[in-house]
Amino acid sequence: MNDPDLQSQLEADHRRRRGRSNLTWILLILTFFLVIAAPTMIVFFFGLLPTLVAYIIDRSKGKTATFCVGGINFVGVFPYIITLWTERNTIDAAMAIVSDLFVMLVMYSSAAFGWLLFLAMPTVVSSFVLVLQQRKVAQLRTEQKQLIEEWGPEVAALVEMHHMDELEASLSEPTMPDAS
Amino acid sequence: MAEDLDQAEETVEPDSETSPPPPAEDNVVAPTASPTPTPAPAPTPAPISNGIPEPERTPAPAGAEQHPPATLKNRYLIFPAMPLPNLDSPTATAYGVEDRREPGRKLFALVCTPGLPTRTQDMKDLRNHTVHGLLPLVDFGAVPWSPLNQSCMMVIFDRPLGGRLMDSFAGQQVMISEYELGRRIIEPLLPALLELAAMSLPHRGLRLDNLYFMDKDHRELVLGECVTASPGYDQPAIYEPLERAMAMPSGRGVGATCDDLYALGMMMVFLLLGRNPVAKLSDDELIAAKAESGTYQTLCGNERIPMQLIEPLRGLLSDDPRERWNLEALELWHSGQKKTPIQRRPATKPKGPLKFAGRDHVTPRTIAHTFSKNVSEAAKLIRSGKLELWLRQSLGDPHMAEGILATATVSKVKEGAPGGSDDVLVSKACMYLDPHGPIHFKNFSFMPDGFGSALAVEYLRKGNFQIPAELFAQDLLGHWFSSQPEKHADLAILDKTFQTLTGLAKITDMGYGLERCLYQLNRTLPCQSEILQQAYVDHIEDILPALDAAADNMETRSRPMDKHIAAYIATHFKYDIQPHLKALSDPKEETSLIGMLSLFALMQWRMKRENLFGLSSWLGGLLQPAIGTYHSRSTRRTIEQEIPALVRQGSLPELFDLIDNAERRHSDTSAFEEAQTAFEIAETEILGITGEGVDQEQMALEAGEKTTAIFSIVLSMIAISIIIFVKTL
Repeated sequence: MNDPDLQSQLEADHRRRRGRSNLTWILLILTFFLVIAAPTMIVFFFGLLPTLVAYIIDRSKGKTATFCVGGINFVGVFPYIITLWTERNTIDAAMAIVSDLFVMLVMYSSAAFGWLLFLAMPTVVSSFVLVLQQRKVAQLRTEQKQLIEEWGPEVAALVEMHHMDELEASLSEPTMPDAS
Repeated sequence: MAEDLDQAEETVEPDSETSPPPPAEDNVVAPTASPTPTPAPAPTPAPISNGIPEPERTPAPAGAEQHPPATLKNRYLIFPAMPLPNLDSPTATAYGVEDRREPGRKLFALVCTPGLPTRTQDMKDLRNHTVHGLLPLVDFGAVPWSPLNQSCMMVIFDRPLGGRLMDSFAGQQVMISEYELGRRIIEPLLPALLELAAMSLPHRGLRLDNLYFMDKDHRELVLGECVTASPGYDQPAIYEPLERAMAMPSGRGVGATCDDLYALGMMMVFLLLGRNPVAKLSDDELIAAKAESGTYQTLCGNERIPMQLIEPLRGLLSDDPRERWNLEALELWHSGQKKTPIQRRPATKPKGPLKFAGRDHVTPRTIAHTFSKNVSEAAKLIRSGKLELWLRQSLGDPHMAEGILATATVSKVKEGAPGGSDDVLVSKACMYLDPHGPIHFKNFSFMPDGFGSALAVEYLRKGNFQIPAELFAQDLLGHWFSSQPEKHADLAILDKTFQTLTGLAKITDMGYGLERCLYQLNRTLPCQSEILQQAYVDHIEDILPALDAAADNMETRSRPMDKHIAAYIATHFKYDIQPHLKALSDPKEETSLIGMLSLFALMQWRMKRENLFGLSSWLGGLLQPAIGTYHSRSTRRTIEQEIPALVRQGSLPELFDLIDNAERRHSDTSAFEEAQTAFEIAETEILGITGEGVDQEQMALEAGEKTTAIFSIVLSMIAISIIIFVKTL
């Protein structure tokens, strides 16, 4: 096994160990909250199930879908948490809330709205971002052209030099030995 | 005899000539404007063949009479239409002169051969001092000479109305009796020699055809000119002491009064005998005879010499300069007092001769001279060890033999390299064989004090310095010094000079090399640059005006600078120009141009020369690469727009300040660096957006997702705040 493979395996092991450690902490905190605020935790658990699902299935960088769904989902859950805290903060009351279909519909609809938002909005935003980026590139190219007009092609000498360095570095990289 | 002379005086015809000897090997003749020969001179009585050698004279250029007169110092009019062939010098042609201030004054001018070194410093001395018994030098200077279409050095003399002494014998034998010799020849010439000696100015042109009568009555005999060529250059070899006769004419060296006295002795022999007693001998045979038997014995051995002249002739013609009669001895003899006769020391005779080049040699000096003319055979002889053996066993000179052995060994070690060539080997061997003789190398033979003029004539003949360059490369001058048996003060000075020259010759930059050596050794030599071909620049102050004038005729793409101009400036300009020369020699065109401009600007500023319009224009047109050293295009455009205005002012310092202003250059450089950084930053940003491996759409999508997540959180926080607000109401 060559060095990059070994390194990647080591990194994966490190991540796994850290994940286990995080999970332990989460379980500990949840147990703590379950002991001191069991009704709230019951409502949260059932109300934020879509968020949990979103977290599990979210492959996006930075878990953006989870934040998106979770944020709106929380808005759907929060009024009932307030009700629980202000009226009867018991497990029965919590069970009553989570067993109310309308309540669950509200909570899951909010999560669904979050999903819809996540599905629809990035495409629109990305279109804007693409246009902005193209404008930015055009602007930078214009600036570079003006620099070349004023200072000549040698103004790009540093860039050329870096390109050459990169090219040389890429050419000098060791190639994977053929196993066969 | 006096009657003979008087008769001859009556029938004097100035154009008569005896048959000239074959030209010397490096004789340079004045260029002629047309190949057509000059018209035949008026018929003269046929000269009696007396074998007395005369140098060949250059005829005046044909068609010169159609040219307008040249004006020297706004006073002397020199008429090309008035050639005076009877007053020609070997390398200078004579023309009639009119003095504007003294219209009746009889003058003539000698127009020197362009490129040939003249004795300008001696001209100054002779103009400022009246030397009795010497043809009076009135003035001199370089002026444009239309028959040759270039500037030439012209020397104005008082015209000798009685013509040449030799011409006065026309049709009769050139002979003066022993009783008349002192009165007719020695008496008028002695004051001149004494005064010249007092001025430390050897004449080096004493020969029969260079004696003139200043008056029509042929009573005032004077020595002719000596300034139109380097010392001894015009002399037939017979008039030269042995060691100088072996050198080529241009390399005979400055010499000393003792050399003049030798020539005087030779003239006395010719006049006394009425002929040349060794006319049948070639130069080489004569040298061999002189070396083996001595000059006096060679010339007078078979002749009847009057008793009272034996001692002076033996003294004057002594081959050892230390034994030769000096002026004091001559004066004593002339005043009738007797001098102790010279004790003749017999030369060391070898047990047997050395056979080489078809003859038997008994002296190392003749061997050296013959070696220099038969290099490959000489090298074989040296390498075979026969020469060393002869020197050791036959001549009994172990020191010389060791020198030859060492030279042969070094040559063997360096075999195949230039240092081991036959030419180098023979040259070094000749130095051991004849340490007081000339340095011989590839037919370039010179006395050490004649190296400067030899170098100048070599360049004039061949247009390059190939042989002198090899001479420096092989350090033959250093070897000559080390081969000297006695190292006196004069030799030490020469050695120091040669060491300096070797250092200069080895540097290939502009302002150095052989060109620099040429001007260092010939301080009065005009600049030999092709750019200044039509001018005569022999003062550093004249170089900028000459270039300014040349600007109109030169191709504007060429530079007003070459190795000769750089070397001439480096030699004569008294300020430090090392940095300028370094820049000038830079392989980058723009640096070289800036170096050239800075040098000319410095010269114009130091010399306070104004309005060099031609040169400014010439340089201004060449400066595009120098302007290109600025990075900023707008700065370049500004400079280009400002150049014409400065060219119209003719100011090189201002032009230089425009091109190479330190402040402007600094700001250009720093602004360029900033621009480079800005360009790089922009490029980095662009690469971050559109670079290789970057999925622009994915990035945009990710950005959208992030934005949506943030939006969602912000929205939820607002909603929660509202819910809390509503619930708490």
